Amino acid sequence: MENALLVGLSRQMALARELDVIANNLANTSTNGFKSRSARFNEFIMPVASAETFPSGDRRLSYVIDKGTPIDLSQGALERTGNPLDVALREDNYLVVQTPNGQRYTRAGSLSLNQQGELVTKGGQQVLGEGGPIRFSNTETNFSIAVDGTVSSDQGVRGKLRQVRFNNPRALSSDGNNLFASATPPLPAGPQARLEPGAIEGSNVKAIIEMTRLMEVQRSYQGIANMMTKTDELRTKAISRLADQQA
Amino acid sequence: MRALQTAATGMMAQELNVQVISNNIANVRTTGYKRQTVHFQDLLYENFRRAGSATSDQNTMVPAGTFIGSGVKTTSTGRIMSQGNLSSTEKQYDVAIRGEGLFKIRMPDGRTTYSRDGSFDLDAQGQLVTRDGYTVEPGITVPNNATSVSINAQGTVEVQLPGQTAPQTLGQLQLTRFVNKVGLESIGDNLFVETAASGPAIDGVGGGEGFGSLQQNYLEEGNVQAVTELTTLIAAQRAYEMNSKVITAADQMMSATTSMFRG
Repeated sequence: MENALLVGLSRQMALARELDVIANNLANTSTNGFKSRSARFNEFIMPVASAETFPSGDRRLSYVIDKGTPIDLSQGALERTGNPLDVALREDNYLVVQTPNGQRYTRAGSLSLNQQGELVTKGGQQVLGEGGPIRFSNTETNFSIAVDGTVSSDQGVRGKLRQVRFNNPRALSSDGNNLFASATPPLPAGPQARLEPGAIEGSNVKAIIEMTRLMEVQRSYQGIANMMTKTDELRTKAISRLADQQA
Repeated sequence: MRALQTAATGMMAQELNVQVISNNIANVRTTGYKRQTVHFQDLLYENFRRAGSATSDQNTMVPAGTFIGSGVKTTSTGRIMSQGNLSSTEKQYDVAIRGEGLFKIRMPDGRTTYSRDGSFDLDAQGQLVTRDGYTVEPGITVPNNATSVSINAQGTVEVQLPGQTAPQTLGQLQLTRFVNKVGLESIGDNLFVETAASGPAIDGVGGGEGFGSLQQNYLEEGNVQAVTELTTLIAAQRAYEMNSKVITAADQMMSATTSMFRG
Protein backbone atom coordinates (compact mmCIF):
# COMPACT_ATOMS: atom_id res chain seq x y z
CA MET A 1 0.00 0.00 0.00
CA GLU A 2 2.96 2.32 0.53
CA ASN A 3 3.57 1.93 -3.20
CA ALA A 4 0.31 3.70 -3.99
CA LEU A 5 1.54 6.71 -2.06
CA LEU A 6 4.86 6.71 -3.89
CA VAL A 7 3.23 6.34 -7.31
CA GLY A 8 0.97 9.24 -6.46
CA LEU A 9 3.94 11.24 -5.27
CA SER A 10 5.84 10.68 -8.52
CA ARG A 11 2.80 11.98 -10.41
CA GLN A 12 2.49 15.01 -8.13
CA MET A 13 6.15 15.91 -8.62
CA ALA A 14 5.74 15.67 -12.38
CA LEU A 15 2.58 17.80 -12.29
CA ALA A 16 4.27 20.45 -10.16
CA ARG A 17 7.07 20.52 -12.74
CA GLU A 18 4.52 20.89 -15.54
CA LEU A 19 2.93 23.79 -13.69
CA ASP A 20 6.35 25.47 -13.62
CA VAL A 21 6.60 25.08 -17.39
CA ILE A 22 3.10 26.53 -17.92
CA ALA A 23 3.86 29.42 -15.55
CA ASN A 24 7.02 30.23 -17.50
CA ASN A 25 5.14 30.16 -20.81
CA LEU A 26 2.42 32.46 -19.52
CA ALA A 27 4.96 34.81 -17.92
CA ASN A 28 6.55 35.15 -21.36
CA THR A 29 3.41 35.92 -23.39
CA SER A 30 4.86 39.36 -24.20
CA THR A 31 8.45 38.27 -24.80
CA ASN A 32 9.63 38.75 -28.37
CA GLY A 33 10.81 35.61 -30.12
CA PHE A 34 9.92 33.41 -27.15
CA LYS A 35 9.32 29.73 -27.95
CA SER A 36 7.08 27.88 -25.54
CA ARG A 37 7.96 24.53 -24.04
CA SER A 38 5.69 21.72 -22.93
CA ALA A 39 6.23 18.90 -20.48
CA ARG A 40 6.44 15.27 -21.62
CA PHE A 41 5.92 12.45 -19.21
CA ASN A 42 7.05 8.88 -19.48
CA GLU A 43 6.00 5.77 -17.70
CA PHE A 44 8.82 4.71 -15.47
CA ILE A 45 8.78 0.99 -14.62
CA MET A 46 10.21 0.79 -11.18
CA PRO A 47 12.88 -1.93 -11.36
CA VAL A 48 12.93 -2.63 -7.63
CA ALA A 49 9.45 -2.15 -6.31
CA SER A 50 6.86 -4.72 -7.20
CA ALA A 51 3.41 -5.45 -5.91
CA GLU A 52 2.99 -8.98 -4.69
CA THR A 53 -0.63 -8.67 -3.71
CA PHE A 54 -1.91 -8.78 -7.29
CA PRO A 55 -3.21 -12.14 -8.52
CA SER A 56 -0.54 -12.44 -11.17
CA GLY A 57 2.15 -11.69 -8.66
CA ASP A 58 5.34 -9.71 -9.05
CA ARG A 59 3.77 -7.08 -11.24
CA ARG A 60 6.07 -4.19 -11.91
CA LEU A 61 4.88 -0.81 -10.74
CA SER A 62 4.63 2.17 -13.08
CA TYR A 63 5.78 5.50 -11.85
CA VAL A 64 5.75 8.68 -13.86
CA ILE A 65 8.81 10.70 -14.75
CA ASP A 66 9.19 13.89 -16.74
CA LYS A 67 11.58 13.09 -19.55
CA GLY A 68 11.80 16.37 -21.34
CA THR A 69 10.37 19.78 -22.10
CA PRO A 70 10.26 19.81 -25.90
CA ILE A 71 10.30 23.20 -27.51
CA ASP A 72 7.46 24.38 -29.73
CA LEU A 73 9.15 25.96 -32.73
CA SER A 74 6.03 27.30 -34.40
CA GLN A 75 6.06 30.86 -35.68
CA GLY A 76 4.89 33.57 -33.28
CA ALA A 77 2.53 36.29 -34.44
CA LEU A 78 4.18 39.08 -36.41
CA GLU A 79 3.75 42.51 -34.97
CA ARG A 80 4.36 45.44 -37.26
CA THR A 81 6.39 48.11 -35.46
CA GLY A 82 7.58 50.30 -38.32
CA ASN A 83 10.93 50.45 -36.53
CA PRO A 84 13.59 50.18 -39.26
CA LEU A 85 15.89 48.07 -37.10
CA ASP A 86 13.26 45.45 -36.18
CA VAL A 87 13.32 42.16 -38.04
CA ALA A 88 11.14 39.09 -37.76
CA LEU A 89 12.78 35.84 -38.85
CA ARG A 90 11.01 33.35 -41.05
CA GLU A 91 11.05 29.57 -41.06
CA ASP A 92 13.49 28.09 -38.58
CA ASN A 93 16.20 30.70 -39.03
CA TYR A 94 18.02 32.42 -36.20
CA LEU A 95 20.20 35.50 -35.79
CA VAL A 96 23.67 35.00 -34.35
CA VAL A 97 24.54 36.94 -31.22
CA GLN A 98 27.99 37.30 -29.69
CA THR A 99 28.01 36.86 -25.91
CA PRO A 100 30.90 36.53 -23.45
CA ASN A 101 30.12 32.79 -23.33
CA GLY A 102 30.29 32.32 -27.07
CA GLN A 103 27.79 32.52 -29.89
CA ARG A 104 24.12 32.31 -29.11
CA TYR A 105 21.08 32.32 -31.35
CA THR A 106 17.91 34.34 -31.13
CA ARG A 107 14.64 35.03 -32.89
CA ALA A 108 14.00 38.25 -30.96
CA GLY A 109 14.83 40.61 -33.81
CA SER A 110 14.26 43.89 -32.03
CA LEU A 111 17.64 45.46 -32.69
CA SER A 112 19.16 48.80 -31.80
CA LEU A 113 22.50 50.58 -31.86
CA ASN A 114 24.93 50.93 -28.99
CA GLN A 115 27.15 53.93 -28.28
CA GLN A 116 29.74 52.68 -30.79
CA GLY A 117 27.08 52.52 -33.49
CA GLU A 118 27.07 48.71 -33.53
CA LEU A 119 23.94 46.70 -34.16
CA VAL A 120 22.97 45.01 -30.88
CA THR A 121 20.04 43.15 -29.36
CA LYS A 122 17.86 44.76 -26.71
CA GLY A 123 20.08 42.95 -24.20
CA GLY A 124 23.10 44.83 -25.58
CA GLN A 125 24.85 41.88 -27.21
CA GLN A 126 26.41 42.27 -30.64
CA VAL A 127 24.41 40.88 -33.54
CA LEU A 128 26.76 39.30 -36.03
CA GLY A 129 26.68 39.97 -39.75
CA GLU A 130 28.24 37.66 -42.29
CA GLY A 131 31.50 39.59 -41.89
CA GLY A 132 31.36 40.19 -38.13
CA PRO A 133 29.58 42.95 -36.19
CA ILE A 134 27.70 45.56 -38.20
CA ARG A 135 28.77 49.11 -37.42
CA PHE A 136 27.44 52.50 -38.47
CA SER A 137 29.28 55.80 -38.34
CA ASN A 138 27.68 58.65 -36.44
CA THR A 139 26.62 60.69 -39.48
CA GLU A 140 24.48 57.98 -41.03
CA THR A 141 20.69 58.09 -41.15
CA ASN A 142 17.82 56.19 -42.76
CA PHE A 143 18.83 52.75 -41.58
CA SER A 144 17.10 49.93 -43.33
CA ILE A 145 17.21 46.16 -43.41
CA ALA A 146 16.22 44.42 -46.62
CA VAL A 147 14.25 41.17 -46.81
CA ASP A 148 17.47 39.20 -47.42
CA GLY A 149 19.09 40.73 -44.32
CA THR A 150 21.20 43.39 -46.03
CA VAL A 151 21.69 46.28 -43.63
CA SER A 152 22.18 49.69 -45.15
CA SER A 153 21.98 53.39 -44.40
CA ASP A 154 21.94 56.54 -46.52
CA GLN A 155 25.68 56.00 -47.01
CA GLY A 156 25.44 52.53 -48.48
CA VAL A 157 25.43 48.87 -47.52
CA ARG A 158 26.92 48.15 -44.08
CA GLY A 159 26.70 44.37 -43.97
CA LYS A 160 24.30 41.47 -44.06
CA LEU A 161 22.72 39.84 -41.03
CA ARG A 162 24.00 36.33 -40.51
CA GLN A 163 21.05 33.92 -40.52
CA VAL A 164 21.56 30.34 -39.47
CA ARG A 165 19.47 27.22 -39.10
CA PHE A 166 19.92 23.91 -37.31
CA ASN A 167 19.67 20.30 -38.35
CA ASN A 168 17.87 19.52 -35.14
CA PRO A 169 16.46 22.78 -33.77
CA ARG A 170 14.63 20.83 -31.07
CA ALA A 171 17.96 20.17 -29.39
CA LEU A 172 18.45 23.91 -28.80
CA SER A 173 18.79 24.72 -25.15
CA SER A 174 17.19 27.79 -23.65
CA ASP A 175 19.77 30.14 -22.24
CA GLY A 176 17.55 32.93 -20.91
CA ASN A 177 17.72 36.52 -22.28
CA ASN A 178 15.83 35.34 -25.39
CA LEU A 179 18.90 33.36 -26.44
CA PHE A 180 19.35 29.75 -27.41
CA ALA A 181 22.54 27.75 -27.21
CA SER A 182 23.43 24.85 -29.45
CA ALA A 183 25.83 21.99 -28.85
CA THR A 184 26.29 21.52 -32.58
CA PRO A 185 27.48 24.29 -34.89
CA PRO A 186 24.73 25.92 -36.97
CA LEU A 187 24.33 25.69 -40.73
CA PRO A 188 24.05 28.80 -42.89
CA ALA A 189 20.42 29.56 -43.70
CA GLY A 190 21.33 29.88 -47.36
CA PRO A 191 20.76 32.62 -49.92
CA GLN A 192 17.02 31.99 -50.04
CA ALA A 193 16.59 33.00 -46.38
CA ARG A 194 14.10 35.80 -46.04
CA LEU A 195 13.17 37.95 -43.10
CA GLU A 196 10.50 40.51 -42.44
CA PRO A 197 11.84 44.02 -41.80
CA GLY A 198 9.90 46.52 -39.71
CA ALA A 199 8.22 43.79 -37.67
CA ILE A 200 9.01 41.66 -34.67
CA GLU A 201 7.96 38.13 -33.91
CA GLY A 202 5.87 37.90 -30.79
CA SER A 203 5.85 35.02 -28.38
CA ASN A 204 4.34 31.76 -29.72
CA VAL A 205 2.62 30.95 -26.43
CA LYS A 206 -0.95 29.82 -27.13
CA ALA A 207 -2.83 31.22 -24.19
CA ILE A 208 -5.90 28.99 -24.57
CA ILE A 209 -3.82 25.80 -24.63
CA GLU A 210 -1.79 26.94 -21.64
CA MET A 211 -4.91 27.80 -19.64
CA THR A 212 -6.50 24.44 -20.50
CA ARG A 213 -3.35 22.62 -19.44
CA LEU A 214 -3.28 24.71 -16.29
CA MET A 215 -6.80 23.55 -15.39
CA GLU A 216 -5.90 19.98 -16.22
CA VAL A 217 -2.75 20.06 -14.08
CA GLN A 218 -4.58 21.59 -11.16
CA ARG A 219 -7.43 19.05 -11.29
CA SER A 220 -5.15 16.04 -11.69
CA TYR A 221 -3.02 17.26 -8.83
CA GLN A 222 -6.06 17.60 -6.60
CA GLY A 223 -7.26 14.19 -7.75
CA ILE A 224 -3.98 12.57 -6.83
CA ALA A 225 -3.93 14.35 -3.48
CA ASN A 226 -7.43 13.03 -2.90
CA MET A 227 -6.37 9.51 -3.85
CA MET A 228 -3.41 9.69 -1.50
CA THR A 229 -5.63 10.86 1.34
CA LYS A 230 -8.02 7.98 0.64
CA THR A 231 -5.13 5.51 0.61
CA ASP A 232 -4.02 6.86 3.93
CA GLU A 233 -7.54 6.56 5.36
CA LEU A 234 -7.69 3.01 4.11
CA ARG A 235 -4.48 2.19 5.87
CA THR A 236 -5.58 3.85 9.12
CA LYS A 237 -8.84 1.94 8.97
CA ALA A 238 -7.08 -1.32 8.22
CA ILE A 239 -4.67 -0.87 11.11
CA SER A 240 -7.41 -0.04 13.61
CA ARG A 241 -9.76 -2.84 12.40
CA LEU A 242 -7.01 -5.42 12.49
CA ALA A 243 -5.94 -4.27 15.94
CA ASP A 244 -9.55 -4.57 17.17
CA GLN A 245 -9.66 -8.30 16.52
CA GLN A 246 -9.94 -10.14 19.81
CA ALA A 247 -7.48 -12.91 20.25
CA MET B 1 6.44 25.98 -5.72
CA ARG B 2 8.46 27.73 -8.38
CA ALA B 3 5.35 28.48 -10.45
CA LEU B 4 4.30 31.08 -7.87
CA GLN B 5 7.48 33.10 -8.36
CA THR B 6 7.40 32.59 -12.11
CA ALA B 7 3.84 33.86 -12.37
CA ALA B 8 4.75 36.77 -10.09
CA THR B 9 7.48 37.87 -12.51
CA GLY B 10 4.87 37.69 -15.26
CA MET B 11 2.45 39.86 -13.32
CA MET B 12 5.14 42.40 -12.49
CA ALA B 13 6.20 42.55 -16.14
CA GLN B 14 2.63 43.21 -17.27
CA GLU B 15 2.18 45.82 -14.57
CA LEU B 16 5.21 47.67 -15.89
CA ASN B 17 3.85 47.24 -19.40
CA VAL B 18 0.59 48.92 -18.35
CA GLN B 19 2.53 51.74 -16.65
CA VAL B 20 4.45 52.48 -19.83
CA ILE B 21 1.32 52.27 -21.99
CA SER B 22 -0.58 54.63 -19.68
CA ASN B 23 2.31 57.09 -19.77
CA ASN B 24 2.22 57.00 -23.57
CA ILE B 25 -1.53 57.59 -23.59
CA ALA B 26 -1.18 60.39 -21.05
CA ASN B 27 1.31 62.07 -23.38
CA VAL B 28 -0.72 61.64 -26.56
CA ARG B 29 -0.90 65.44 -26.98
CA THR B 30 2.59 66.28 -25.71
CA THR B 31 4.71 68.17 -28.23
CA GLY B 32 7.75 66.21 -29.38
CA TYR B 33 6.91 63.22 -27.13
CA LYS B 34 8.46 59.90 -28.20
CA ARG B 35 6.52 56.82 -27.20
CA GLN B 36 8.11 54.01 -25.22
CA THR B 37 7.77 50.27 -25.65
CA VAL B 38 8.75 47.62 -23.14
CA HIS B 39 10.95 44.73 -24.16
CA PHE B 40 11.00 41.50 -22.22
CA GLN B 41 13.42 38.60 -22.01
CA ASP B 42 13.03 35.16 -20.50
CA LEU B 43 14.90 34.49 -17.26
CA LEU B 44 17.40 31.77 -16.54
CA TYR B 45 16.52 28.12 -17.08
CA GLU B 46 17.14 25.21 -14.81
CA ASN B 47 18.45 22.28 -16.71
CA PHE B 48 17.29 18.89 -15.42
CA ARG B 49 18.35 16.82 -18.42
CA ARG B 50 20.74 18.53 -20.77
CA ALA B 51 20.01 17.97 -24.44
CA GLY B 52 22.76 15.89 -25.99
CA SER B 53 23.81 14.11 -22.82
CA ALA B 54 24.46 10.41 -23.26
CA THR B 55 21.74 7.93 -22.36
CA SER B 56 23.72 4.75 -23.04
CA ASP B 57 27.14 3.47 -24.00
CA GLN B 58 25.93 3.15 -27.59
CA ASN B 59 26.11 6.91 -28.15
CA THR B 60 22.38 7.44 -27.82
CA MET B 61 21.63 10.81 -26.38
CA VAL B 62 18.82 12.95 -25.02
CA PRO B 63 17.22 14.55 -28.10
CA ALA B 64 15.59 17.44 -26.27
CA GLY B 65 16.40 18.32 -22.70
CA THR B 66 14.29 19.39 -19.77
CA PHE B 67 14.42 23.12 -19.25
CA ILE B 68 12.36 24.79 -16.59
CA GLY B 69 12.33 28.55 -16.98
CA SER B 70 11.91 30.94 -14.13
CA GLY B 71 9.88 33.71 -15.67
CA VAL B 72 10.38 37.01 -17.41
CA LYS B 73 12.33 40.21 -16.92
CA THR B 74 12.28 43.66 -18.45
CA THR B 75 15.25 44.56 -20.60
CA SER B 76 14.44 48.04 -21.73
CA THR B 77 11.72 50.60 -22.06
CA GLY B 78 13.19 52.02 -25.22
CA ARG B 79 11.76 55.03 -26.97
CA ILE B 80 10.64 54.84 -30.55
CA MET B 81 12.25 57.96 -31.99
CA SER B 82 10.17 58.03 -35.15
CA GLN B 83 8.98 61.30 -36.61
CA GLY B 84 5.75 62.71 -35.21
CA ASN B 85 3.26 64.56 -37.37
CA LEU B 86 3.85 68.26 -37.94
CA SER B 87 0.94 70.48 -37.10
CA SER B 88 0.64 74.08 -38.13
CA THR B 89 0.41 76.54 -35.25
CA GLU B 90 0.96 79.85 -37.08
CA LYS B 91 3.24 80.96 -34.24
CA GLN B 92 6.50 82.43 -35.49
CA TYR B 93 8.65 81.00 -32.71
CA ASP B 94 7.36 77.46 -33.14
CA VAL B 95 9.91 75.27 -34.90
CA ALA B 96 9.61 71.60 -35.79
CA ILE B 97 12.42 69.31 -36.88
CA ARG B 98 11.78 67.17 -39.94
CA GLY B 99 14.22 64.30 -39.67
CA GLU B 100 17.16 63.70 -37.38
CA GLY B 101 18.36 65.98 -34.63
CA LEU B 102 17.38 67.54 -31.36
CA PHE B 103 17.41 71.13 -30.19
CA LYS B 104 20.16 71.95 -27.71
CA ILE B 105 18.85 73.60 -24.55
CA ARG B 106 20.99 75.27 -21.87
CA MET B 107 19.56 74.70 -18.42
CA PRO B 108 19.74 77.33 -15.66
CA ASP B 109 22.42 75.24 -13.88
CA GLY B 110 24.60 75.27 -16.99
CA ARG B 111 23.86 71.69 -18.06
CA THR B 112 22.99 70.90 -21.62
CA THR B 113 19.82 69.04 -22.45
CA TYR B 114 18.16 68.12 -25.72
CA SER B 115 14.59 68.35 -26.91
CA ARG B 116 12.37 67.76 -29.93
CA ASP B 117 9.89 70.28 -28.55
CA GLY B 118 10.36 73.45 -30.58
CA SER B 119 7.67 75.61 -28.97
CA PHE B 120 9.88 78.58 -28.21
CA ASP B 121 9.17 82.11 -27.03
CA LEU B 122 11.09 85.24 -26.17
CA ASP B 123 11.96 86.15 -22.59
CA ALA B 124 12.03 89.69 -21.15
CA GLN B 125 15.46 90.30 -22.73
CA GLY B 126 14.28 89.15 -26.15
CA GLN B 127 16.19 85.88 -25.94
CA LEU B 128 14.82 82.75 -27.59
CA VAL B 129 13.84 80.36 -24.79
CA THR B 130 11.75 77.24 -24.26
CA ARG B 131 8.34 77.31 -22.58
CA ASP B 132 10.16 76.90 -19.26
CA GLY B 133 12.45 79.85 -19.98
CA TYR B 134 15.61 77.86 -20.71
CA THR B 135 17.95 79.26 -23.36
CA VAL B 136 17.90 77.66 -26.78
CA GLU B 137 21.50 77.25 -28.01
CA PRO B 138 23.35 79.20 -29.25
CA GLY B 139 21.37 82.00 -27.55
CA ILE B 140 19.64 84.26 -30.01
CA THR B 141 18.39 87.68 -28.94
CA VAL B 142 15.72 89.28 -31.08
CA PRO B 143 15.79 93.11 -31.03
CA ASN B 144 12.58 94.56 -29.62
CA ASN B 145 11.93 96.64 -32.72
CA ALA B 146 11.99 93.70 -35.11
CA THR B 147 8.97 93.64 -37.34
CA SER B 148 9.19 90.03 -38.40
CA VAL B 149 11.28 86.99 -37.62
CA SER B 150 11.94 84.11 -39.94
CA ILE B 151 13.66 80.82 -39.28
CA ASN B 152 14.67 78.89 -42.39
CA ALA B 153 15.20 75.17 -42.92
CA GLN B 154 18.84 75.43 -41.83
CA GLY B 155 17.84 77.16 -38.60
CA THR B 156 19.13 80.59 -39.56
CA VAL B 157 17.16 83.22 -37.66
CA GLU B 158 16.65 86.45 -39.61
CA VAL B 159 14.79 89.57 -38.54
CA GLN B 160 13.41 92.48 -40.47
CA LEU B 161 14.21 95.78 -38.77
CA PRO B 162 12.30 99.02 -39.46
CA GLY B 163 14.02 101.22 -41.99
CA GLN B 164 16.15 98.42 -43.41
CA THR B 165 15.47 96.63 -46.65
CA ALA B 166 17.70 93.61 -46.16
CA PRO B 167 16.92 91.19 -43.32
CA GLN B 168 19.52 90.89 -40.57
CA THR B 169 20.89 87.49 -39.53
CA LEU B 170 20.87 86.88 -35.77
CA GLY B 171 22.34 83.38 -35.62
CA GLN B 172 21.68 79.77 -36.40
CA LEU B 173 19.82 77.30 -34.20
CA GLN B 174 21.99 74.44 -33.05
CA LEU B 175 20.99 70.82 -33.63
CA THR B 176 22.54 67.75 -32.03
CA ARG B 177 22.36 64.08 -32.86
CA PHE B 178 23.49 60.88 -31.22
CA VAL B 179 24.63 57.54 -32.62
CA ASN B 180 22.14 55.75 -30.38
CA LYS B 181 19.40 58.30 -29.72
CA VAL B 182 17.29 55.55 -28.15
CA GLY B 183 19.86 55.53 -25.33
CA LEU B 184 19.09 59.12 -24.30
CA GLU B 185 17.64 59.54 -20.84
CA SER B 186 14.38 61.40 -20.38
CA ILE B 187 14.29 63.82 -17.49
CA GLY B 188 10.74 65.05 -17.99
CA ASP B 189 9.72 68.48 -19.32
CA ASN B 190 10.23 67.11 -22.87
CA LEU B 191 13.99 67.06 -22.25
CA PHE B 192 16.60 64.40 -22.84
CA VAL B 193 20.14 64.15 -21.47
CA GLU B 194 23.16 62.36 -22.86
CA THR B 195 24.11 58.98 -21.34
CA ALA B 196 26.95 56.51 -21.80
CA ALA B 197 24.63 54.45 -23.99
CA SER B 198 23.66 57.28 -26.32
CA GLY B 199 27.22 58.01 -27.39
CA PRO B 200 28.68 61.51 -27.47
CA ALA B 201 26.71 64.46 -28.82
CA ILE B 202 27.37 65.38 -32.45
CA ASP B 203 26.62 69.02 -33.11
CA GLY B 204 25.45 70.37 -36.42
CA VAL B 205 22.87 72.53 -38.08
CA GLY B 206 19.65 71.91 -39.96
CA GLY B 207 20.22 70.37 -43.38
CA GLY B 208 23.81 69.38 -42.48
CA GLU B 209 25.06 65.83 -43.03
CA GLY B 210 22.65 63.47 -41.31
CA PHE B 211 20.53 66.28 -39.87
CA GLY B 212 16.92 67.05 -40.65
CA SER B 213 15.58 70.42 -41.66
CA LEU B 214 13.60 72.91 -39.61
CA GLN B 215 10.11 74.12 -40.23
CA GLN B 216 8.96 77.41 -38.77
CA ASN B 217 5.33 77.85 -37.64
CA TYR B 218 4.97 74.12 -37.03
CA LEU B 219 5.25 71.84 -34.01
CA GLU B 220 5.99 68.14 -33.91
CA GLU B 221 3.20 66.18 -32.28
CA GLY B 222 3.84 63.16 -30.08
CA ASN B 223 4.30 59.91 -32.04
CA VAL B 224 1.84 57.96 -29.89
CA GLN B 225 -0.66 55.92 -31.89
CA ALA B 226 -3.74 55.61 -29.74
CA VAL B 227 -5.06 52.46 -31.43
CA THR B 228 -1.76 50.60 -31.01
CA GLU B 229 -1.52 51.62 -27.38
CA LEU B 230 -5.05 50.46 -26.62
CA THR B 231 -4.51 47.09 -28.30
CA THR B 232 -1.30 46.60 -26.32
CA LEU B 233 -3.17 47.61 -23.18
CA ILE B 234 -5.82 44.94 -23.75
CA ALA B 235 -3.15 42.31 -24.40
CA ALA B 236 -1.27 43.35 -21.25
CA GLN B 237 -4.40 43.17 -19.14
CA ARG B 238 -5.23 39.67 -20.36
CA ALA B 239 -1.67 38.49 -19.83
CA TYR B 240 -1.81 39.84 -16.29
CA GLU B 241 -5.04 37.96 -15.67
CA MET B 242 -3.59 34.70 -16.97
CA ASN B 243 -0.57 35.01 -14.72
CA SER B 244 -2.85 35.60 -11.76
CA LYS B 245 -4.72 32.40 -12.68
CA VAL B 246 -1.44 30.49 -12.47
CA ILE B 247 -0.96 31.84 -8.97
CA THR B 248 -4.47 30.73 -8.01
CA ALA B 249 -3.86 27.26 -9.46
CA ALA B 250 -0.50 26.91 -7.70
CA ASP B 251 -2.10 28.03 -4.47
CA GLN B 252 -4.90 25.48 -4.79
CA MET B 253 -2.40 22.75 -5.56
CA MET B 254 -0.46 23.66 -2.47
CA SER B 255 -3.65 23.66 -0.46
CA ALA B 256 -4.43 20.16 -1.81
CA THR B 257 -1.05 19.07 -0.52
CA THR B 258 -1.47 20.60 2.91
CA SER B 259 -4.97 19.18 3.30
CA MET B 260 -3.46 15.70 2.88
CA PHE B 261 -1.75 16.13 6.20
CA ARG B 262 -4.01 15.06 9.03
CA GLY B 263 -1.60 15.17 11.94
